[in-house]
Amino acid sequence: MRRERVPACVHPETYKYFLERDEVVAVWQRLVARYGELRKDLAFRAMEVVAPRFRVRATLLGNPVTVLRRRDCTADDIAELHALLGYEP
Amino acid sequence: MSISNDLDGRLAMQYEPVTYRRKIAGHDVIIHCHHYNARLQRTIEGARGIDGKGLIAGAAEVVFAGQVAQALRPEDDDAARLAVVERLYAHLGFGRIDLGQLAEGLVTASSSHFVEGWLAGLGQCEHNVCTFTEGFLVGAVYAATGRVVVVRETECMARGAARCSFTVTASERESVPGNIKGESVPVPGAGGGPYLRPAQVDEQAIIDAVVGMPMVGDEAGLIPAFSVYLANMPADFYNRICIGFVEAMRGLGREKAALRLLVSDAEHCGMNTFRGIMHSPEWDGLIAPMVHDRADALHAIIAISNALGWGDWHVTAHTPTTLALESRHGYEAVGFREYRGRADAPQCAMLTGVAAGVMELVYGEGTVEDRYGTFASREDQCVACGEPSCNFAVERVE
Repeated sequence: MRRERVPACVHPETYKYFLERDEVVAVWQRLVARYGELRKDLAFRAMEVVAPRFRVRATLLGNPVTVLRRRDCTADDIAELHALLGYEP
Repeated sequence: MSISNDLDGRLAMQYEPVTYRRKIAGHDVIIHCHHYNARLQRTIEGARGIDGKGLIAGAAEVVFAGQVAQALRPEDDDAARLAVVERLYAHLGFGRIDLGQLAEGLVTASSSHFVEGWLAGLGQCEHNVCTFTEGFLVGAVYAATGRVVVVRETECMARGAARCSFTVTASERESVPGNIKGESVPVPGAGGGPYLRPAQVDEQAIIDAVVGMPMVGDEAGLIPAFSVYLANMPADFYNRICIGFVEAMRGLGREKAALRLLVSDAEHCGMNTFRGIMHSPEWDGLIAPMVHDRADALHAIIAISNALGWGDWHVTAHTPTTLALESRHGYEAVGFREYRGRADAPQCAMLTGVAAGVMELVYGEGTVEDRYGTFASREDQCVACGEPSCNFAVERVE
């Protein structure tokens, strides 16, 4: 898995994570299990899971995922998310 | 605080497809993002020799005294009136304020569009940044209680505080000025154009999707959409601060510099805002499948900007090095006419800058700073001058 920094966003540390194709469904299942309901925006064909200090968004295809951090997002929050995504920095 | 059940209805957005205007509580609101709002604030407050903070706070108090008043109902009790203020602030995307200690002279904020905007867009700062909220509170408290107050921010999250704090004390003033405007500018009828309409880009689908988005504050009172923080700002606020800024600078013999600064902020906005949007999942989901070349991306950007209420503007001619746009009901031109009457020169600094910025974004290469200034934009005619439309011409700088 790789990630790319996304410019001009709500937080300077915003990245798109490119999931392995056969992991997409399982990753989203883990996101929902950990952070709560999947919210869909059918007009934009997008979806997200909202955690207390970040959001994980993607198109309805689920890949790549963009992680939008709030300002109070901690390193521990991101470490837990990385473990859940299967991303190793 | 108790709040009447019809509040969502009072604050519901009404969209006017003829002009692309969005209206909340009787006021046209324009959706801009944190990049533009933070830059505009820095420009106006940073100009030497003028009271930039006074311009921003003064505009906010006048405009929001009116907007809050329109959101109130005669049957609202005191608690409900303050609840309307809190809700409107969050609904518009400015953050969360707590008026629970207003009687003790204290208001706190746990989140702020302007704090987020400044830190995300401009980096760390050494001063308080919530001038807008100071003005909002003066106007809102006046509308909700009839009291004229002085509001000063004493702690700011932009400087590391856990929350923003504002002291509220009695003012010697007897009232907050009204938002006085002259004759309204009529909505244009049929006509305009002809406009370029690329076959691949379904502009109406984009506009419908953006207009259908719930562009209201989340639990933090913020609107994280398209990977940026958006806010519903009354057009009157933008017009008052920009007109006031240019007039104040004119008094120092620096009118042209003021206009250049406003155009520059918008040029950066055009690049930063839409760069964020073009990297967002929302873009990937709906718009990217329509985009087959750079011209398509440009048309999609213009469609989004119309849905955000910027200007009822459309492409009349376009090459990779040139762009011509026509706007028939842009908020800057209409606002100038309503506040000041007919102008001697074009007034649409925001649209002028954005026109260059989007060409730099779509056709430029490298960082934002690499692209800045590679296209030049001018407004050739303007509704503010009595013309039927505002016309913009953009060319690559050779």
